[in-house]
Amino acid sequence: MSTASFEQALAALGVGARVEARGGLALLFVLDVVPLADAPLRACVLAAGVDHGFTHVAVELDSGDAALHRD
Amino acid sequence: MTSTAPKTELDIARDKEQTLAGALRRAGRVLVGFSGGVDSAYLACVAVDALGAANVLAVIGVSASYPAEQWATAREVARLIGLTVVEVRTDELGDPNYTANPANRCYFCKTELWSRLRPIARAHGFDVIVDGTNADDVADYRPGAAAAREHDVRSPLAAAGLTKREIRELSRGRGLPTWSQPSSPCLSSRIPYGTPVTTARLAQVESAERALRALGIGGDLRVRHHGELARVELSSDELARWLDAGRLAALTGALRQAGFARVALDLRGFRSGSLNILEGIVAA
Repeated sequence: MSTASFEQALAALGVGARVEARGGLALLFVLDVVPLADAPLRACVLAAGVDHGFTHVAVELDSGDAALHRD
Repeated sequence: MTSTAPKTELDIARDKEQTLAGALRRAGRVLVGFSGGVDSAYLACVAVDALGAANVLAVIGVSASYPAEQWATAREVARLIGLTVVEVRTDELGDPNYTANPANRCYFCKTELWSRLRPIARAHGFDVIVDGTNADDVADYRPGAAAAREHDVRSPLAAAGLTKREIRELSRGRGLPTWSQPSSPCLSSRIPYGTPVTTARLAQVESAERALRALGIGGDLRVRHHGELARVELSSDELARWLDAGRLAALTGALRQAGFARVALDLRGFRSGSLNILEGIVAA
């Protein structure tokens, strides 16, 4: 599982996100969760997650701007 | 030459129901392990039809592993069916094998349940104990099934080949309110294997799910307990509805109120056995 390459795959889908891995669970920190209401985009995100070894992908809510910073 | 119309799915389900009724009649008198869920309610209803209410006893095993609302529902469903109900407290939380939360946790819970029900069956003159395991469950990862076998508990729904979908359809035909009820496995199923099951964690999950229901969330719903993080699984309809800036604050607030510092929404939504998949016990 590579969070960095998953983040790149997400960016290619237009989803700017930081990823935290917890085993097979990928937690996404995004500035705006609303675009993920789009089912086709969600399906692409999930497929990318599977490609990167994640069985579960969840978006953290109310993570705020700070969540996008790595430190 | 005559031609017969091919059987519909409902015809096939009704044939299976006849098989089920025949098996119950051969059993004579049955004690039903009763949760008031889709499967055991349907089983109890068919049993009452086939055997008469005097020959069916429903036993509810009450513990902190299930939300309190479930027992109220179970009692109401039993009343509608005309079932005689006995309630017994089970103490799986007193068993360290259970609270350690191994992958076969369900085995210890069901061992506790069936060992409590067998003496009740004997005392009331019932030789046969049945449960609501259906044909879909047989293909699933169900360590509790071993406990049922060890305690000679029969699973007539599975034996008749009745699937969950068929049970829902037949329940609807019988006017059972449970036909569209979401599945309701125990609250421990929200806690990842290896994380001890405690009354505090169970209460936290119960409180969180109750709060989300109070927000109007319908259908399948699970709050998975990942320590400080709640991972919420919703049905696909609800997931699309709640990925909305105006609604998310209410959802997050409800879960923080239940004691979770962090809240995440699972983007695949509800999956039965989600934690089994996460642990690699079953394939995704």
